[in-house]
Amino acid sequence: MTSLKGYMGRVLMIDLSKRTFGEFPWTDKDRKRTLGGKIMAADILLHHITPEMQAFDEDNWLVITTGPLTGTGCPNTSRFNISTISPLTNILTSSNCGGDFGLTLKRAGYDAAIITGKSETPVHVHITTDNVEFLDASELWGTKTGEAQEKLKHYPGRLVIGPAGENKVLYACVFSNDRTAGRGGVGAVFGSKNLKAVTAFGTKLPEIFDEQALRELNVKWIKTLQNHPLTGRQLPKLGTAGLVSQMQAHSILATKNFSAGRYDGFEKVSGEELAEHHLVSNAACTTCVIRCARMCKVGEKIVKGPELETLGLLGPNILNDNIEAILRWNYELDELGMDTISCAGSVAFAMELAEKGVHDFGVHFGQIDNLSQMFEDIAYRRGEGNLLADGSRRMSQQFGGKEYAIHAKGMELAAYEPRHAVGHGLGYATANRGGCHLNAGYLVVLEGLGLDVDSLTHHGKAALAIMLQNLMEAVSGCGSCLFTSYAVFPGFLVDKPNWFVTKAILAVFPYVGPIVNLLSHFTKVAQIPLPLLPHIKAVHLATGMRTTVASMLTWGAYGYNAERISNIILGQKADADTLPKRLTDELQDPNNPRTKVPLDKMRKVYYRGRGWKHGIPTYHRLKTLGIVLDKKYYDEAVARAMRKD
Amino acid sequence: MANVTVKLFGVLRMDTHLAKETLNIEKVGDLFDSINRTIDKRYQENLAENPALEKPEKLAFKHVVLFVNGERCTKKGRKLADGDEIWVLSPASGG
Repeated sequence: MTSLKGYMGRVLMIDLSKRTFGEFPWTDKDRKRTLGGKIMAADILLHHITPEMQAFDEDNWLVITTGPLTGTGCPNTSRFNISTISPLTNILTSSNCGGDFGLTLKRAGYDAAIITGKSETPVHVHITTDNVEFLDASELWGTKTGEAQEKLKHYPGRLVIGPAGENKVLYACVFSNDRTAGRGGVGAVFGSKNLKAVTAFGTKLPEIFDEQALRELNVKWIKTLQNHPLTGRQLPKLGTAGLVSQMQAHSILATKNFSAGRYDGFEKVSGEELAEHHLVSNAACTTCVIRCARMCKVGEKIVKGPELETLGLLGPNILNDNIEAILRWNYELDELGMDTISCAGSVAFAMELAEKGVHDFGVHFGQIDNLSQMFEDIAYRRGEGNLLADGSRRMSQQFGGKEYAIHAKGMELAAYEPRHAVGHGLGYATANRGGCHLNAGYLVVLEGLGLDVDSLTHHGKAALAIMLQNLMEAVSGCGSCLFTSYAVFPGFLVDKPNWFVTKAILAVFPYVGPIVNLLSHFTKVAQIPLPLLPHIKAVHLATGMRTTVASMLTWGAYGYNAERISNIILGQKADADTLPKRLTDELQDPNNPRTKVPLDKMRKVYYRGRGWKHGIPTYHRLKTLGIVLDKKYYDEAVARAMRKD
Repeated sequence: MANVTVKLFGVLRMDTHLAKETLNIEKVGDLFDSINRTIDKRYQENLAENPALEKPEKLAFKHVVLFVNGERCTKKGRKLADGDEIWVLSPASGG
């Protein structure tokens, strides 16, 4: 139980092997230290994992967490998180999702659910306030995600996997409604446990510390989001798809397996094309006021349209300008239950291997007729598809081409080509879960897309990466959509890019990061009320905890360091924060020597800013953050990381 | 004077219902008067069909991001040549 408001005060522990359930001990001290969401999950996993543990082991836990703002009525707070050991990367992954499951889990009376063990037969777990049922899922097994959800439509909150998860495709995902916990293969971990579906139902609501004040804050917060040029105009009108043309202009649109940053046919696969000719309506996650999701027609069905990542990686990155094909593939991949980013990245790598004559997987740049078949083959692990189902890192270990296998720590990169946004490149390299644009800190929003900070300089980028990574970690920990953090940038900076005031502010922006990071070390000094980041006040009003800018950044740093040391325990090597040589050694523009990621320079500063050595948090840094580990256990993990194999 | 192609992207294109226009102008800064006239004309035409149509805001140099032939342009006074292509964008974000 908890004396804090906002939380339900209980964490559910489910054992699939024994078909039992109980409560996992979690105290208010733990809540205050970890906030919620992925930070809470990282802390739970850090104290559970062992160096030998693998993703498909029975005792690899699936940790499903909500945040203190979930279910409190705050805008864009229906998010939940699934963390586990990733089969794709062999380190922790955390996958955030906007479907209904988080809300219903909380209504059932739980802040989180931990799932361990392995069911002998396919199982559907149903969670209610006082009970957990282990239902036979034999009839669900083999269904695609749409059919599975249709069969479970009487359950308000659902998580399901598709055939890719059942067949342990290393980047299989989990669906809740039409939203996805997409990255790192959480769906494959579900599949390894014979877990086809999890549902939840309940009627509880969290108590609120100051309900009236939170309601008033929410009114202002909604207005802020609706009036902001990014969250109030661009995202509702074009969704994330609207970035394709922006990325083309800024030379960061991944093209032909990241060998270029621009694609001549970009207009045909752009957000504008989608909005003008294929959009049926907007859609939103529950509690969302941004409404960035696109609903499109595929055949006779109205289905979720592609995000920017899918448009970019199944468009320019494989030299395809057929948007109708992308709409169809997006639907097919969702039905099969696969991450479109890792799947498309693996396909592009296969295409380049074929072009170079290394191995012909049957897929080729610019040829799209057989891709639907390839996606099916991947999901069911048939023929060449079985090779692509393991992702580009394993493919490169088998066939070569490591320098152009576009992943970081085994996770394929999102659609942003970082040689023209070098800070974003640093983010990709240092992100704990691998090549993820959001876990990276999304520096590209500063480097041309939203604001106009010099995208080719390495100066200041390390501190900005740390600041944004910590900030987004904490926003996610609240249970909030990461897009709400874009409103932290004052609207005029976005609205008036050519105004002299904007230019002056952006000129000094690279120096902001170190100052803000310093504040996280002086929590008592940093009592800054930041109206553009209402999460801070909202957490206080929902829970009663005292919160400041510094406490948000400290929560973020806690999560980032807990994940990192977990990864070291799991076998991540020292200095593993790397990118493929194509991005660090080859110029994107042969006439511009700045168009490659100067990773070594930035990484050195980044490690110093984090208090890490060779990418490993020092024992002192962990202790400062309150992460307590046995010193001998820590030393052994570090020694393994430093050992050259 | 130069014959140039102007392309609008993002929110600007959605708001103005204008994707592409050919203009005869001398400098980058000249495009705003010409393009605003076209946008206004287009708005008046569309208004007859859709009386609820919101009037788009006038484009101004301060509010947009410009690229000329793929290169970022921050100077209004930049001279243009025949065949130049100008991209007009507004800042964006996503994930």
